[in-house]
Amino acid sequence: MPEDQGHHEEGGVTMQVVEFKDVSRIYRNGEHEQKALDHVDLTLEEGKFIVILGPSGAGKSTLLNLLGGLDSPTEGTIIVDGKDISTLTANELADYRAATVGFVFQSYNLIPTLTVIENVALVKEIAKTPLSSHDMLDAVGLLDHKHNFPSELSGGEQQRVSIARALAKNPKILLCDEPTGALDSETGVMVLKLLLSMARDMGKTIIIVTHNQNIARMADVVVRVKNGRIRSCEAQDHPLNVEEVDW
Amino acid sequence: MLLKKLFRTLWHYKAQFISMVIMIALGVGVFLGFNMEWYSLEKNTREIYEKTGFADYRIYNENGFTEKEWSAITAIPGVEDATRFLSVNTTVKNDTDVIALTVCENPAVSGFLVMAGGKYSPDDPDGIWLSDSYAKANGLALGDPLKLTYKTIEVSGTVKGLVKASEYLICLPDETQLMPDYTSYGFAYISPAMLENAIPAMLHMMMGSSVYHQINVKSALPKAEFVAALDQALGKTLLVLSKEETISWSEAQGEVEEGKTMGSILPVLFLAIAILTMVTTMHRITASEKTQIGTLKALGFRDRKILRHYTSYALIIGLMGTILGVGIGYLLGWYIMNPDGAMGTYIDMPSWKLYVPGFCYLVLVLINAFLTVIGYLSVKKMLQGTAADALRPYTPKRMKHLFIEETRRFKALSFGTKWNLRDCLRHKSRTCMTLFGIVGCMVLLVGGLGMQDTANAFVDVFFDKANNYAVKINLDTESVTNREAMDLAERYQGDWTAQRSVQIGDRGFSLDIYSITHDQVRFADEDMRLISLENEGAYISSRIAREFGVGAGDTLSFSPYGGGESYTVTITKVLRSLSESVVMTQAYADAAGIDYTVSSIFTNQTDIAANRHILNTQTKQAVMDSFNTFMELMNTMICLLVLAAVILGIVVLYNLGVMSYTERYREMATLKVVGFKNSRIGRLLIGQNIYLSVLGILIGLPAGVGVLKYLLDALASEYEMKLALGPATYLISILLTFLVSLFVGLMVARKNRNIDMVAALKTEE
Repeated sequence: MPEDQGHHEEGGVTMQVVEFKDVSRIYRNGEHEQKALDHVDLTLEEGKFIVILGPSGAGKSTLLNLLGGLDSPTEGTIIVDGKDISTLTANELADYRAATVGFVFQSYNLIPTLTVIENVALVKEIAKTPLSSHDMLDAVGLLDHKHNFPSELSGGEQQRVSIARALAKNPKILLCDEPTGALDSETGVMVLKLLLSMARDMGKTIIIVTHNQNIARMADVVVRVKNGRIRSCEAQDHPLNVEEVDW
Repeated sequence: MLLKKLFRTLWHYKAQFISMVIMIALGVGVFLGFNMEWYSLEKNTREIYEKTGFADYRIYNENGFTEKEWSAITAIPGVEDATRFLSVNTTVKNDTDVIALTVCENPAVSGFLVMAGGKYSPDDPDGIWLSDSYAKANGLALGDPLKLTYKTIEVSGTVKGLVKASEYLICLPDETQLMPDYTSYGFAYISPAMLENAIPAMLHMMMGSSVYHQINVKSALPKAEFVAALDQALGKTLLVLSKEETISWSEAQGEVEEGKTMGSILPVLFLAIAILTMVTTMHRITASEKTQIGTLKALGFRDRKILRHYTSYALIIGLMGTILGVGIGYLLGWYIMNPDGAMGTYIDMPSWKLYVPGFCYLVLVLINAFLTVIGYLSVKKMLQGTAADALRPYTPKRMKHLFIEETRRFKALSFGTKWNLRDCLRHKSRTCMTLFGIVGCMVLLVGGLGMQDTANAFVDVFFDKANNYAVKINLDTESVTNREAMDLAERYQGDWTAQRSVQIGDRGFSLDIYSITHDQVRFADEDMRLISLENEGAYISSRIAREFGVGAGDTLSFSPYGGGESYTVTITKVLRSLSESVVMTQAYADAAGIDYTVSSIFTNQTDIAANRHILNTQTKQAVMDSFNTFMELMNTMICLLVLAAVILGIVVLYNLGVMSYTERYREMATLKVVGFKNSRIGRLLIGQNIYLSVLGILIGLPAGVGVLKYLLDALASEYEMKLALGPATYLISILLTFLVSLFVGLMVARKNRNIDMVAALKTEE
């Protein structure tokens, strides 16, 4: 386990939001076995901006998928917000995803047959304390496009809808898988800026999986992953602002 | 290598592949089966007509025909052959069974085929060539003695041959009976020598110069010409019936026509659904294979080779479906057309070979060519542009705003409803096909069950309500006087009828005169309401009304055969009846001056004493039993139809359901990631099926009634049935269609448990 971990203290108490205890994820395909995560231990704190960094195939997406309840570990325990999610049933995992985590994907994953506002309002069907979809769209600056279908928007705009949808659930943690991967750098910076400012304003923990070193320079904590293991987990005392990063 | 890919791709799309093969097999099977049915019937009946010299005309004379008259008829130019002919109903086994005893001087006309036993000889002194079906039903065999009784005369002989005859192809005692019943009614031929030698007394009793009341003629002359030549040759006008006016021709040809009608509706529905589903499926398969198509193109494969590769999918599906369909077609054809099956109880013919109409081969080739073209065009579309264009994944049409989206009602719809509604509109062809499948299922169910309702209502009105009698007494019209007959009717507290053959235009019909004082017989009007006959006019059956374009208030002229007089009557009402007849009361007939002889009495009393004027008695139960056989046959057909409807519904809906599932896989994965539970996503998927089912049922119900109406209209020349649909039919059709849709919906919805969220969302859109 990496020794050097950042701590956030509130009134003298460290608020842990995520804890991986000896977590492994092994994919079996016939006789072939692939260890995507190999005995990982990791603790992440609430309200931080965390970047998980690593090359392709390092296991960072697996980490995110396990954390998001999209997948279950082969071994070990994952505790999120005080609750062990490694043994939950499919329905309990669905409840967990509905209540605790919000996702932003590289390929947006909006429902093509629903309008922008409907895509955001969708979460009202399942979230316990959803936020106003109107307000969320206003916050991402797309209120004027609320009746458009996703296919009528640019990539950056679609990603902004996806951020609005993820935050409208009012989740504790925002999980982002290469959120700027499909965007040009200018749009990517704009989306990232929006994502960080909104999440920080709302006091959310943000976890971004990326192979982009520049994004890591903005993070409170950088977790480096390689070959299914955590190489380091470092707190950055002076993270840069989006504008300060040389894109 | 591409061949390996071909088989692996077939396996990958196995659900679509199997359902397409089933659809085409069903379509081809039903198409072939129904068309084989009528065509085989036509060919096999033609064969027996030809082999036994089925007569084109039957000339009747109450006083019999002399040899001289026979010669005169044979000499008419255009007459190929003729025979003097006798057919009388005789009783066997203590008066319960009836056998039509037949004598034919020239067996080349109206003869028979010996199926077992000895060859027929016109000089045979004591041989009886008995109907093999009657023999089988009554446990009679070659060599058995048989005693036939006509009035007080007995004819005894030995069964020397078991035969089939075209004159008795549909062996019915009269038109009130729908199905032959060989346990109680059959026919037998004896030689003219036996007739003359063995029963001289009978000859004597049957009056006049000759016992042969009938001359049967083979001639290609049109009826009007033949009748004119006959009048001239004999110097008198006689009753002439063409073959079209005999049960053995008209009913068999009616079956052929009925088969043609059925064959032109049901198979078209099945084939249309199969082909349209194929269009949708091939498009979807090639769309999801687009990247692979692009890869092959980018690798350097020529368009032609790629086209050939993907087109062969359609060809394989078409060929496999056709081969399977031909098997189903033969099975269906055999099921309907075999001596022990449905048709065998109706038509008594020797050969039951199955024949395929020539146009069917052409249709099968065209179907396969069409399916191949569908495959070709689907791939061609994906190959358009450069290799880079082909490499890009297929993108469905962009969403467009609906005109109803601005309405408050639309805005108030739940997310699921909006999602499903837009998905339906985005994938219009898939939606239309699903709808088409549900409508097809519904049409078959309403049509099939409605047919049963209609037939049940018909039987119910005619036998349970219109006919109150228990026994029909048939009188010997040659010996009984009207006074005696009416006394007999009064003794049994019965109603009576007198029947005469009349001619309207150049066609023969029956004139039925009734005296109804004991409510034993009633009639049904066109709305199937029971009515009592009034004395102010005549009633006609709806087939006559249709044929001559007349109705209530019109007048109709007819002339009885054998007399020169003509009568014009006013039509009071059009009836639905079993036989094509003109009906009137005794009072109206007397007022019009029409002669008649009472022929039957209808009574509720079952204890009928022997009387020299009574030919035989017939219970209503016997007639009803023959109807029940008819209903059983119909029920079997209905079961097949319902089964076909359910298979059709399941296959079409499953195929399209899987397609819809595949296309919405990514959307469902997104919903799952957002936090929707499997059950909730399942409900959304089933929701679409339910909306489409409701719409399909709403369209299918009137469409089913429409198809049924069309069928009844097409069959109107045979049955005067009125469309009747019971609440159970509506309920069962709706419930079954709904259940099929729900069942398929659940099968597809179960799949969403296996959605791999991670893999689904990684894929590029």
